[in-house]
This record gives sequence, C-alpha cells and structure tokens, in this order.
Amino acid sequence: MASKQKEALIDPLFNDNPISLQVLGICSALAVTTKLETSVVMSAAVIAVLTLSNLAISLMRNLIPASIRIIVQLTVIASLVIITDQVLKAFMYEISKQLSVFVGLIITNCIIMGRAEAYAMQNGPGMSIIDGLGNGLGYSIVLLFVGFFRELFGSGKIYGVTVLGDWYQPNGLMVLAPGAFFLIGIFIWMNRVWKPDQIEAE
Amino acid sequence: MKFLRKVLDKQAPLFDKGGPLEAFYPFYEANDTLLFTPGEVTKGDVHVRDALDLKRMMITVVIALLPCVAMAVYNTGYQANYWISQGATPLHNWQEAIYASVFAYDPTSIGANIFHGFLYFFPVFLMTFLIGGHVEVAFALARKHEINEGFLVTGFLFPLTLPPTIPLWQVAMGITFGVIIGKEVFGGTGMNVLNVALTARAFLFFAYPADISGDAPWIAADLSTAADGASGATWLAQAASVGQAGSDVFATHTMGGEQWMQSFLGFIPGSMGETSTLACLFGAFVLIATQIGSWRTMFGVVVGTTIMSLALNGIGSETNGMFNMPYYWHFVVGSFAFGTVFMATDPVTSAFTDKGKLVYGLFIGIMIVLVRVVNPAYPEGVMLAILFMNMFAPFIDHFYIQANIKRRLARHGA
Amino acid sequence: MERSSGYIITFAAVVCLVCGVFVSGAAVSLKDRQDQNAVLDKQKKVLIVGGLIDPNSETSPEEIERLFKTNITAKIIDLKTGQIYDKISSDGFEQEKYTKDPTTSIEAPARNAAGAKRLPKHALIYERQKNGKLDRLILPVNGKGLWGPLYGYFALASDTNTVKGIIFYKHQETPGLGGEIENPNWMSLWPGKKAFAMTKDGGLGKPKIEVNKGPSKDGDEYGIDGLSGATITSRGVTGMLQFWLGDNGFGPYLAQVRKGQ
Repeated sequence: MASKQKEALIDPLFNDNPISLQVLGICSALAVTTKLETSVVMSAAVIAVLTLSNLAISLMRNLIPASIRIIVQLTVIASLVIITDQVLKAFMYEISKQLSVFVGLIITNCIIMGRAEAYAMQNGPGMSIIDGLGNGLGYSIVLLFVGFFRELFGSGKIYGVTVLGDWYQPNGLMVLAPGAFFLIGIFIWMNRVWKPDQIEAE
Repeated sequence: MKFLRKVLDKQAPLFDKGGPLEAFYPFYEANDTLLFTPGEVTKGDVHVRDALDLKRMMITVVIALLPCVAMAVYNTGYQANYWISQGATPLHNWQEAIYASVFAYDPTSIGANIFHGFLYFFPVFLMTFLIGGHVEVAFALARKHEINEGFLVTGFLFPLTLPPTIPLWQVAMGITFGVIIGKEVFGGTGMNVLNVALTARAFLFFAYPADISGDAPWIAADLSTAADGASGATWLAQAASVGQAGSDVFATHTMGGEQWMQSFLGFIPGSMGETSTLACLFGAFVLIATQIGSWRTMFGVVVGTTIMSLALNGIGSETNGMFNMPYYWHFVVGSFAFGTVFMATDPVTSAFTDKGKLVYGLFIGIMIVLVRVVNPAYPEGVMLAILFMNMFAPFIDHFYIQANIKRRLARHGA
Repeated sequence: MERSSGYIITFAAVVCLVCGVFVSGAAVSLKDRQDQNAVLDKQKKVLIVGGLIDPNSETSPEEIERLFKTNITAKIIDLKTGQIYDKISSDGFEQEKYTKDPTTSIEAPARNAAGAKRLPKHALIYERQKNGKLDRLILPVNGKGLWGPLYGYFALASDTNTVKGIIFYKHQETPGLGGEIENPNWMSLWPGKKAFAMTKDGGLGKPKIEVNKGPSKDGDEYGIDGLSGATITSRGVTGMLQFWLGDNGFGPYLAQVRKGQ
C-alpha cells in the first residue's frame, strides 16, 4: 500500500481522531456505549455509512452543482442511514431497540458530513473509501474504548459475559452519560501524553 | 528546633539539583516548609508583604473545621448508641468487635459515644490522607512541582461529608478520583474548576448510590430490628418522601422548637461532619474573622435560600409538601451549613470579584432549594448546587470585570 | 463552474429518485421481517412472564412462535364490565396507541396511583392454558416511574390472587437504581406473593401487594423488597399494581374470572 493511502487510513486513528481531536460525534459516543455490544454495532453502522457516503459523493463529485452540494450530501447520507436502520431493525432487533434513535441520528453526526464535504468532494473514489474507513475506525476506537470500560466497570461484564464476579460492586457512574465523558477525557489525555503536538498552545 | 533545622539542612544537598535524590525534592520541600517558614521570598517586581501564605490559610481552615470534626466523632457514636439502645442491632464489623469489648451501647455516656464515633470516623479520615496524600505526591514527583498544602483542607473536608458506614475502599476511590480528575488534570492546586472534596463525593454519590444515599448508611447500626417506623434516613430524605405524598413535616415545627434545636445542634442522622449547624457557625466565625472565607458568598447563599423558599411557600403545591418547607428549616437540615461555610467559600472555585461572590452565593442558595423541593430524585441539593455554580464562577467574574473595565473607560475616556 | 438551472433541477430530481428507490426498496423488502421481530419481542416477554421460557437462555424465533401458539390465548376485554369483547381482533391490536386515541379511551380518574392520563376502554390480555385449563392471566400494566412511564406485564395465577411474575419491557429508570426493575433476582421475588387482601368472609378485598421501602419482613405475603436507592420507582410499581388490580383497572375482569370458576 502506498504511503498516501496508508496515511489516509491510519491518520484518523490517533493523529487526527474525529472524536478526541476534532471533538465530533460526541453525542452518540455517550449514548450507545454503556455496553460493548451496542458500541460494536454502532461502530459498524458508522463505518458502513461513512465509507459508502464517501464513495457515493466522490463518484458524483464532478456532477454535483456547487449551489446544492450540501443538500445532495445530506440526501445521500440520510438515505444510507435509513437503510442501515432498516437493516438493523430487520436482522438485529434487540440491539436496534437499545440503539433506539441513535442510529437515525448518525445523519447528524458531523464526522460524516465533514468527511463528505472536506474529502470526498476533492478526491477520487478509491481514496475516499479509504478515508471513510479510516475515520470510521478512528470513531470506533474511541467508542470501543469507552464501551469496554463502561461495561467492565459499570456492570462487571465484557461483551455480556460476567468477568468480575459477585465481589465486584458495579460502578453506577460508568453507566450514566457523565461516565462516558470522563472516559473520553481520559482517552484524550492519554492520546496527548503520547502525542504532545496535539496540545493547543496557550 | 535548632537541631531539627540542622538535620534538615544536612539533608538538603541530597535533594538539590544534581543530588542523588533530586527527583524527590518536592517531598523534602514539603516536610521542610511544614516545619519552618520558607526561606524563599518572592523575587518578582511586585509583591505583597503578608504573613499569610497558603500554609497559614489552610491551617486556619482546619482550625475552623475542628468543631465539625468533634461533632462528627461524637454524633456518629451517639446515633449508633442511641438506636442500638432502642432495639437496633450493632453491625457486624471490626469496629463493633472492638467497641463491644470496651463499652456498652449507652447513648448517655459521652466517652462511649466519642469512642464509638472515633472507630468509624478515624479510619475514613486516615484512608483519605493515606491515599489522597500519595496520589498528590505521585503527581508532584511526576510533574516536578512542589507538594503544597491544598490537600490538607480537602483531606479534612471529604471525610466529614461521608456517611459513617462508607466502605473504606470507596473512600480511597473517591479521593483518588477527586484529586486526579478534580484537580491534577487541571494543573494542580489553585487551577481546579470544581471543589475537590465535592468532586470526590459526587463521584461516590453517582457511582455507589446505595452506600451514600437512601435509608441505610447514615447510622452505624442495623435498624431493621428496631421498632416499626424507625427510619435511618436523614430528616431531609424523610421529609421528601412524605412530601411526595402531599403532606409536609417541617411547616408544623417552628424555629427554636425542640426538633429544630435538635437539628440545629446536629444530633440527627446524616453525613458525619455536616449535621451540626452550630459547629459550622463557629467555623463561619473563624473564617470571616480571619477574612479567609468570604462573608459575601455565605451571605449570598443564605439570601438565595431564603428568597427561593419563601417564593415556593407562596406558590404552594397540593402534590408536593416540600413546597411548604420554611426557610429556617432549610438552614438546619442536610449539609446546608457545612456547604455554605466550607464548600461554597473555597477561594479557588468560587467567584473572585466581590459582587460576583454575592451573585455566586445567591444562585447556590436558589439551586439548593430547587433541588431539595422540586427534584424528586435527590432529597439534598447542596453538593449539586455548589458544583453547578463552580462551573459558572468564572463567567460571573468575567461579567463583573468587563463591567468594571467599561466603567473605568467611560470615566477616564478611551 | 456555473451550471444551468435546468441541470440543477434535473440533478436534484435524479438524486432524490435514486435515493427514494433505495430507501423505499429497503423499507418494503424488510418490513415483514421487522414486524415479525416486533411481534416476537412482545411474545417473548409474555412467554417469560408466563413461565414458559427462561429469560437467560436464547430461544429461537420458531420456538417462541410455537410456544406462544400452543399455550397462550390473546383476548380483548372490556375494562368496565370485565367481559370478553370480541368485536376487535387481537391481531395487530396496539395497546399503547389504543390508550392514547381519544375515541377509544376515557379520561383517567384524577391523580390516580398509576399516573395515567387516559384509560383504554378495551385491553388486550393473555391467558396461558395448561392441560386445557386456565393456568395464569397475563395483564398489561403501566405506571409512573421516576423519569418516565413504566410498561410491563403482570401475571396472576388462575385464582386471581397468587402472583406469578412481573416483567417490564419499557422504562427510563436510572441504570443501577430504578433500572433494577429489570434485574432477574428482583423479578424472582414476585412469584408466590399474594395480590389482594382477604376480607372477613374469606373473599378477596382490595389490592394489597406492594413494593416495600427496604427489605420486607419474613413471611410478608404481600411485600416485595424495595429497590435500594430507588424509592420513587418502587412506589411507582406499587401504585401501578394498586391501580390496575383495582376497580378502574382489571378489577371487573378478575371478578368475572372468579365467577366463571
């Protein structure tokens, strides 16, 4: 893989993470991460929507009239989100019930519009797919990190399997939304200790 | 004294730059300045001559807190002994094993009450300093800054806000969270946005609510064997649960009456050091006399609480009896006095401007009453109100500073 | 690059058309499956509270359908008279919609224990048959929790007094506190308790079952251990049952069941 592709894929993971550096998509990161299972499904849904929307927008990029480009992007993204939601409802009913409106709210996730506007409008379909995949993975890393620790400390389980026995008293804060805030904060903290160039100048 | 100075001076080269224990300089410095006045003086152009440094300030707060500590020890023991003498069962733990071998469960014996309370309060206190102190030192070493005394007050405040039966591992977790997330991530003492002791308590409150709210934790005894209708809940929680059903408890008891006095003096179940309004008033006196705690903040809270409770009295409610709770009851139940005197006045997290302090206090008072009366989930709102207003303190200051700049510009012409 | 208005309109139309086709295609082709899922989900809850499947084990959709068909009978009843009402089909009957619609519901008594604003005229209940005989009644109940409504099923034995179980399928309570109404350990406290107080002549009186504050005393036939730290949710569950087992709820129907035996 050429270095350009590699960069598009790897960069959004820690160097330019959509959640921890750009602080986008926080809403769903709080809402669906009480369990690892819902985090995984949500991550998959976002990766799918992001990759496909990047592909679709990139293919049309030379045809889209500039004056209506935002609304066209939104139409494409909304359609993809509705289809994803329908598929989840049909094949993963239990989980789709837990994710409730948050699958639908992928439409408002700034990461997706952001990538469509900032990347897919200027780049070819191949690179756009990689970019979508990379940003989707960057989003997923934070979601999985948060979901893993919230489920572990909040209910003593990993992926629904009890790992901390009866002696463990679940931490209620982890199950509440602020628990996710603290974990995202800790993720950002670790990320910046590792890569100090992300710290803003004062 | 001279001997001690000599011993310390002898060790000094070890910790100086280039010395073998250089990394541990903060540790040395902390012990040195705890014992002696620091040898260093301010080197910048501007400085104020004052005997008051951070250490003096913190010590004064600790002195102001002593009556609360005394009440924490006494009342914890008294509540346990009282209820056990009324038919409750002692808990099964090491505290009771020690206690039973020394004293009988007699609430009229002052010595017995003090000893019983000490067995519960002291481990919590010790745990706070042991864990919190080490976390503080670890960060000081890692960040190469000096250990300062900020933790001293936090370490006193935090145990006083906890129920007697709090598990010690939770104390350790709470204070660790408080020091790291409440303070160190923002850059250490003086940089924190939220009150550290309250951050630690809020963590426990949301993480392990069963151990820090409800009926069980406030009295170190098992009340299930006591007479029917005996409840270990705080008075505020009892009133809230009756209030939800539409009637009110407090309105019938007047200020200065028997129940009111009992609550004012602090012989009621609650967080260990927060029950006595009288003890907090002593603290308020010390803090205001030494100008360490702001009377403006305290005054603001009192006024805010009074206004809001009178307003709710006026509005009234058929379904919620808490609306009828008179202001003078708001002052003596829950952690109102403790929060107002020791938490709201925290100079780092409160507003900084004089007018700002009044406004800041006023809103805390309003929020306290709102949470207590209107929110069905939480009977007490002092902690939440203060933390909430902590966030807005810089905003309030900004408003007053900008107004001041504008006024001066207008006066002197731009 | 400037485009003509005609091009822009055509482009927008084409995008809308293509997206529309995809979306409606997905919606139409997956609809059956989704409806089936929703039905299965409800049936599963009914089967759990009916004591036919274990909530902790996975049960295949076919098995759920088979168990439901062979053991459960759905019935629409008239709440006021307690009689079976067969003018509405139980298939596709949506209780929540039916409760909201002003033409099919009445105003609830002021300040009722369940916190209900409107009451349906008719309700969908389930009966579990065992060896050709009525084994238990499964009643839909809803009440007021701390943060929002509670929806669930409550199962009674054929004597209309012995509790067989309770399950909540929709609520907004705080996880770890009020959310513990979903905890299997707490749910297992219910079976065997009694719902109604005894009158002097040995009949059944007013609903008496309640969720206590704190643990219930030994031998308490009517009390369930309270949820620690969730007084309001506990009270909400009590109020919900007191209401739905009372005269404005399923009282008349339960009287009919008793008469029929």
